[in-house]
Amino acid sequence: MRYVRQIGVIMVKDLRAELRTKEALNASLAFALMILLLFSYTFDPTQEMMREISGGLLWIVFAFAGTLTLNRSFARELPNDCLDALIAAPIPASALFLGKCFASFVLVLAVELVSLPVFGIFYNVHWTAQLPELILVLLLGTWALTVIGTIFSALTVNIKLREVMLPMLTYPVLMPALMSAMRITTVLVNGAPIGADELDWLKMLIGFDVIFTAVSLALIETVLVG
Amino acid sequence: MSAVAVEGVWKYYGDYPALRDVRVEAAPGTCLALIGRNGAGKTTLLRIIAGFSTAQRGKIKIWGKEPREAETRRQLGFLGHGISVYDELSALENLTLFGKLYGLPDPRKSAHEWLERTGLERVRNGLVREFSRGMRQRLAVARAFLHDPSVLLLDEPFTALDDRAIAVLQRLLREALAAGKTIVMSTHQLREALELASHVALLSRGQLAFHGARTPEMVDDPGYVYARYGEGG
Amino acid sequence: MPAAFLFAATVWAAAIAAVVAVIASILFLRTRNFFYDALALAVTEIGLLLLAAGIVTGAIVGHVAGALWWTWDPRLTSALVCWLLYAPYLMLRAAIEEPSQRAASAAVVSLFAFFDVPLAVAAVHWWLTRHAAPAQPAGVAQSAWWSILPVVMLGAVLSWVRLRREQRRRAADAERRSAQTV
Repeated sequence: MRYVRQIGVIMVKDLRAELRTKEALNASLAFALMILLLFSYTFDPTQEMMREISGGLLWIVFAFAGTLTLNRSFARELPNDCLDALIAAPIPASALFLGKCFASFVLVLAVELVSLPVFGIFYNVHWTAQLPELILVLLLGTWALTVIGTIFSALTVNIKLREVMLPMLTYPVLMPALMSAMRITTVLVNGAPIGADELDWLKMLIGFDVIFTAVSLALIETVLVG
Repeated sequence: MSAVAVEGVWKYYGDYPALRDVRVEAAPGTCLALIGRNGAGKTTLLRIIAGFSTAQRGKIKIWGKEPREAETRRQLGFLGHGISVYDELSALENLTLFGKLYGLPDPRKSAHEWLERTGLERVRNGLVREFSRGMRQRLAVARAFLHDPSVLLLDEPFTALDDRAIAVLQRLLREALAAGKTIVMSTHQLREALELASHVALLSRGQLAFHGARTPEMVDDPGYVYARYGEGG
Repeated sequence: MPAAFLFAATVWAAAIAAVVAVIASILFLRTRNFFYDALALAVTEIGLLLLAAGIVTGAIVGHVAGALWWTWDPRLTSALVCWLLYAPYLMLRAAIEEPSQRAASAAVVSLFAFFDVPLAVAAVHWWLTRHAAPAQPAGVAQSAWWSILPVVMLGAVLSWVRLRREQRRRAADAERRSAQTV
């Protein structure tokens, strides 16, 4: 129980700090909306094209905008050497990690939930047909993005060129999760339910989440303390 | 049992030894001043004692236990070069946060107490980013002492403090020593540190060149230790 | 050997390199013995080198056989994805000065990359075979034991040379650091 409370303390701290400044949130949201707008304007996709690419477009937007938030996750601990104080505190490194994951998860999800209606409007897509399943994929895919982004944020926190290294590490590793999420999302946005094929992709996404959450929890102490 | 025991510690950066077979102890209730030139390894050693990095060889024992164990971490207070408080939170929020992380029974009450003791009660709801330098430093000190640690590790604590902050810190350190706490403090400001210290250790190029009780000669002439045991004032 | 076999052979060599790298990384994290760090670096670098050569060859063979520069053949594409998984390992190492931190961070990245390989390969195969139907030119993925062995041995020799070079570089680095502190 104390463990859960510790996770909560970290999560609340991160959310409070972010909501006070809203730096990452604004940047992330602006980026997402701008890409959606730009893409719709420059490519002017037909309904046919949209049936093919909606999942891909959405998850590219989510992943790129999400990285702006995830980069801040451990980077926000650098000014004033706050990271030292967190590492020194008697909370398990895994609690620190999960607290930050949950905080980033909330922030990234918020941007995604705002982007979806905007997407629906600009691209004339009725995306609510399979809403519960879509939310499920959103949650699973966002968790994948969050876990990988947070562990690599911790890894790159005090190296030079952090903002370049984080996406370079994150995107290749994320690829199976992104592909799964893209595939299932395209099908759901088109109004079709999850079929046998999508079920395979769903299993891959869940497997990805489980494996990499476990690996991250196992390695976080090493990443932070060395 | 000593409060802090450094047993044969070697720290390598790659193949380069930053610390070589360092053996030093701090008995409970004593204040050990860790002195040495830049690059001698003081900060490295302190950070290893605090558990921020690990030595490749040798052990650290805090009350006989590893630094990274939760119980040990509860007993340790660390004051490093940074103030380790959040700019976007208020003084009260910062201390309450750390109070919760350290599992204090009443984090808010402890936070108020320490804001009082460091003279920050009136600005408790101000965001740290708006504080003056001296106020930030006093808050950092409050954070380090908040959970009543039995062992205090301070890395050049008097450097870049304003007069009020120095006074606050000296008072708190004297009170801590009187209450039986153990202090290990690295320092350049020999005078302030040597006044408080009961023991002195000199690090020279990663090795312990001297370790013993503080003598009156040392307080009168801080360069004495360097001249006698180090590479010359 | 016919260029068609080179690709498959380098994939095998790269796979072996990945296994050696992850074992070396785990051993480094447990023992903190820098030999394992040098080993992981050496095999990863040589593995990436050989795999790159194989991918380029595979693309050229595909181009000659068909008409496109990149055929989206599942095996070629998943090889490229795996290459992209391990390339950041080298970039990360270049970005970290301090040897202990560099070795530990690189070991973590190597672990993540290794666990991702099966997922990435499966994902690429599913995507390309179920949802697209590219013409698969013959010859890209043929393998024969007699082509694999020489490439693997080449890789082993190159890795050993790279390993020795890394160890020499580290010794020189340590000398330089101790000379710097007066």
